[in-house]
Amino acid sequence: MSKIAIISQPDQGVLIDVGGCASMQEAVSHLSSTLQVSSQFWKGVNVALNLGDLELTSTQVAHILALAKGVGVYPYQVFAQQPLTRGALLEHGVVLGDGKPMTLPAMTIKVPENPQDEDWVDESVNVDEESTVTVFYEPSENQLITEDVQQDGPEIQVDFEPKEEAPAPAQAEKPSKSAKTKEKLEGSVHAGVMYLRQTLRSGQSVSHQGHLVIIGDVNPGAEVVAEGDITVWGALRGIARAGVGGNNDAEIRALRLQPIQIRIGESFARSPDKNRLHYDNHHGPETARVVDGKIKVFKFNPQF
Amino acid sequence: MSGRVIVITSGKGGVGKTTASANIGVALANTGASVCLVDMDIGLRNLDILMGLENRVVYNLVDVVEERCKLRQALVKDKRMPNLNLLPAAQTRDKTAVDADQMKKLCEELKSMFDFVLIDSPAGIESGFQNAIAGAEEAIVITTPEMSAVRDADRIIGLLEARKDEITQYRLVLNRIRPKMVANADMMGVDDVLEILSIKLLGVVPEDEDIIISTNKGEPVSGTDNTRSGLAFRNIARRLRGEEVPFMDLDAKTDTWVTKIVNFFNPVRV
Repeated sequence: MSKIAIISQPDQGVLIDVGGCASMQEAVSHLSSTLQVSSQFWKGVNVALNLGDLELTSTQVAHILALAKGVGVYPYQVFAQQPLTRGALLEHGVVLGDGKPMTLPAMTIKVPENPQDEDWVDESVNVDEESTVTVFYEPSENQLITEDVQQDGPEIQVDFEPKEEAPAPAQAEKPSKSAKTKEKLEGSVHAGVMYLRQTLRSGQSVSHQGHLVIIGDVNPGAEVVAEGDITVWGALRGIARAGVGGNNDAEIRALRLQPIQIRIGESFARSPDKNRLHYDNHHGPETARVVDGKIKVFKFNPQF
Repeated sequence: MSGRVIVITSGKGGVGKTTASANIGVALANTGASVCLVDMDIGLRNLDILMGLENRVVYNLVDVVEERCKLRQALVKDKRMPNLNLLPAAQTRDKTAVDADQMKKLCEELKSMFDFVLIDSPAGIESGFQNAIAGAEEAIVITTPEMSAVRDADRIIGLLEARKDEITQYRLVLNRIRPKMVANADMMGVDDVLEILSIKLLGVVPEDEDIIISTNKGEPVSGTDNTRSGLAFRNIARRLRGEEVPFMDLDAKTDTWVTKIVNFFNPVRV
């Protein structure tokens, strides 16, 4: 739960408190809904931020700061209790608050659960060079999967004889493709690679604006979302969305590519309809990429 | 069109709410009605797995409520029957993602599109349950013939009775009954359960291994012909549509050599 509160010392401004959140995911979602309540709201306001007991890495802190920056908020002070988070904040040159923030309890305002009630998207704020600050994947009209696709999407070919490496034409396109990918990632607020040494279990979800590397498994019911590539050093059995935002050149690769569903850019594929009691059959490391508008799975080729 | 919104609930977990939802949904769709199954167990979604539709889920109930997509886009059409639809729960969120008013609004909208809207409620009596019953007009209470499940069902019926104005009808489905154990007085029988709960009986479903197989396959038993439990669920669907269907004869079935032979030649005897 995030709160907005008035800091107890006079003229100290407003505190955004996401300290009550259990995870980075939750904190970011509350923070983004709080910040985007209204574009005019934050103008000329001193804002402090409380991260409470959240353990955040440098990358995650950068994420949060980018989110605030996107609506013109530069926290003058950030409160955090965990050494890891404090270290990360110092790395980004943020002024740390002492101890816990003092606020006026009577002034605590609950942020509405549903940000749609407020003026959620303000064009003047979001549409400029910072427009990529939206951390979470917000499907826009042109990315929607049509009903036809949803019902009869192409089946992922992992359960068939895996094809050998992509034919020559696809390889020839490669250089321009990587250049394009790079350009795109450099343009986003926080590009780069996010490493996660963790198995994602059902219900857990990770999203990142650059490339995403998971050292662990992605179980059925879990979800990984990235603007760039997704690499799973383990079994990918949940849902993966690479190239979110329209990058059709993104790739999804895993040691065991056994997902329920994958999406790359605007393409969509689902697993075959069959009994999934056993996961022991697999073809070794595989890569999924879009060829001629369709997602295809290839045996992983390290030279590629 | 104004359909019926029916919540399927139990209080206790693991008594078969989701299995019953899937099977009653399939059975109702088989009778020709248009049906929408709504998974309200946000954060612990299972109904899509039982229906074998997990790989087709793109948007979910929370996306609809938060207006990230249109209702039609979130509905997953069943692969076997076009008149059966699933509105899946979100897996990466929790029960607080929706509230009662939003559910009421959603149910109103679904009601105008389908003959039957079946809401699969989460276990418990907290906000998840409250949201699940918010838009419902009828309830099906599921229990098994165990003291704890019956106790929880009684609690649920009490909560439903407190909302008499909205929920006009609530009936009981007694699930996983084992006639042989009842005959040996090792298990509560239908009468024992009704004695305590004193509500109208909608159906009795015998314990059946086929349920496990069908759950793993993602094909509800009521869609296939030759299972005892499937027949029980089809009977429930017919009763929901107002037909008079006699209850299965589940008394005193200690096997004699005669019944064994009869069973051998007629395995679908219920």
